[in-house]
Amino acid sequence: MSILLNRETKVLVQGITGRVGRAQTKWMLEYGTNIVAGVTPRKGGEVVEGVPVYDSVAQAVSESGAEASVFFVPPAAVKDAACETIDAGVRFIVVVTEHVPVHDAMEVKDYATERGVRLLGPTSAGILTPGEAKMGIMPGNMFQPGRIGVISRSGTLAYEICLNLAAAGLGQSTALGMGADPVAFTSLSDLLALFDADPETDLVVIIGEVGGTQEEHAAQSIADRMTKPVVAYIAGHTVPEGKRMGHAGAIVQGDMGTARSKINALQKAGVAVAEYPGDVVKLVQKKLEQYYPAQ
Amino acid sequence: MKLYEFEAGDLFRQEGIPVPDFIVTDNPPQARRAAEKVGTPAVVKAQVLTGGRGLAGGVQAAESPRQTEEIARRILKSSIRGLPVNRVMVVKKAEVAREFYLGVTIDGLTGKPVVILSTAGGVSIEETAKTHPQMVVSRQVSISTGLGLPEAKEMAQEAGLDGDESTAIAGILHKLYHVFRKYDAMIAEINPLVRTVKGEYLALDAKMEIDDSGLFRHPGLKLSAEDPLASPLEKKGRQIGVTYVELDGEIGIVSSGAGLAMATMDIIGRKYRPANFLETGGGISEELLYNVMELVLQKKGLKAVFLNLLAGINPIHEGAKGIVRFLREHPTDIPIVARALGNRQEEIWQILREGGVEVVTDVATEKSVEYLFQLLEETR
Repeated sequence: MSILLNRETKVLVQGITGRVGRAQTKWMLEYGTNIVAGVTPRKGGEVVEGVPVYDSVAQAVSESGAEASVFFVPPAAVKDAACETIDAGVRFIVVVTEHVPVHDAMEVKDYATERGVRLLGPTSAGILTPGEAKMGIMPGNMFQPGRIGVISRSGTLAYEICLNLAAAGLGQSTALGMGADPVAFTSLSDLLALFDADPETDLVVIIGEVGGTQEEHAAQSIADRMTKPVVAYIAGHTVPEGKRMGHAGAIVQGDMGTARSKINALQKAGVAVAEYPGDVVKLVQKKLEQYYPAQ
Repeated sequence: MKLYEFEAGDLFRQEGIPVPDFIVTDNPPQARRAAEKVGTPAVVKAQVLTGGRGLAGGVQAAESPRQTEEIARRILKSSIRGLPVNRVMVVKKAEVAREFYLGVTIDGLTGKPVVILSTAGGVSIEETAKTHPQMVVSRQVSISTGLGLPEAKEMAQEAGLDGDESTAIAGILHKLYHVFRKYDAMIAEINPLVRTVKGEYLALDAKMEIDDSGLFRHPGLKLSAEDPLASPLEKKGRQIGVTYVELDGEIGIVSSGAGLAMATMDIIGRKYRPANFLETGGGISEELLYNVMELVLQKKGLKAVFLNLLAGINPIHEGAKGIVRFLREHPTDIPIVARALGNRQEEIWQILREGGVEVVTDVATEKSVEYLFQLLEETR
């Protein structure tokens, strides 16, 4: 059915009283997300869209039983909020916040890994299980229920490709943004493994972009371990060296982080790589026919 | 943000890393006086934010103060990899007995700091790693415990250093890690660190890049206010609150997200070249897209503008009003093609069409770009 999030997941919203937090809480509730509590320090006792707000995560968790949390907190507050949330026993955290200091991201990743907690982000568009629930800012109307898992560095490009997939009758099991910062909390390889283990996912689409080595590393684990077919599109063939393309991590440095190096590595691992985003649909159809021939 | 050598050098020195005395100036007579002060033979070093200065003639030795002035005059008139040299550093030439490379950076995959030590200094570490991997010692460090002196010492020994040399290099490596952590660095590098014939250790170069997202923690850092690498249009983009990257093509691009903008560049790149990358981020308003149109259309030699807007959290119907208001006030001959989907798309299409924008409603970006290509063929 999905990975990491479904309609039962009890969700906490941190930074719920801010402008973005409020607006997104409304959209997440409308989509069907089981939001049980919100947290903003010193705003305890307020109610946002019918959701009770608490001062601390520990309090929110003990009152509501929240098991996952989505962050709309300011970048400078992410590190402390993440540690507080992990300490309170929350097992899954989505950090939508942009511009989180990279050193803070390293510290949070280290703290979470030691304690076996899963995080997405920073700069994640969120996670959405079509027809069930969403955490983050992905617009619900761009996704359809189905059996394709989608992992994207970028939000808007995930919408583009999921719109195309949906138009061809190919819905998604879960779509998620892993973020586009230099340090991602959870690697592409680990996310692929989650989809590989999900009985309701038939195929995974990777939407990558220039910068870093996530795709190259994932290619190795696809070759070694992945049992399901994978299709990819890597954005940024025409990106010049040394220019940061909006996302903090989207930069080609020397010959590192180029679209070409990612495409080559993925193709070597048997991944069908689309030249343009619109080509993803036919590659998905082809792979599905190969792996799951009609009975 | 990249730091100039003299800025990084100052930070290194403050943390106890041995950096030779240097003087930075923007005029040749001062360079001469600087050489008199630091002593000759001296080295004149262009202060530019790019690698490969030496090969491009940006680092030159001078025997006398007079020659220092001549060389400074030449270098201050030159450009290195397209960057004009506005300042030079004058420093006494060191008599080098041995060179090392010391660096701290981030492994994006593991999310850990990586400390690197090499006995091949003065050359690119990437090159050494390829040609003489046995000369490179690198270690992933736990961010919670950091790089202690004992670990630094182990690395020095692993690199084949012994006795005083091992102690000295380990001490500097330990300090460099401290600078890296203290200043939210993406990279902190000394290449080369040298031992002089007199047995002193000196950092003969200083390279540092600070994470833009971490800059707020360092209000005391007095860095060059303007990013010298940004073009005037890129600076304007920053002022209005969007990411604009100037490119050398002819099709302007406006996109509601970074990934979508890169994909749009790829698709346009089939037949034409993108004139820019532009990502609005999540803050679209009428005002913002008015300013965005003004910015994108300032680029010289544009043949068309392509707008790729997905209305999720962004109120594109508001932004559309800004687009057409700008075009009404500043009519243009070049085609403006828009692809906009999502919340209130019919309303968006209507606003744009009434303002003279060509709208393509197909779900794939490719179709809209093909239409744009068609328009360009027709007008040719």
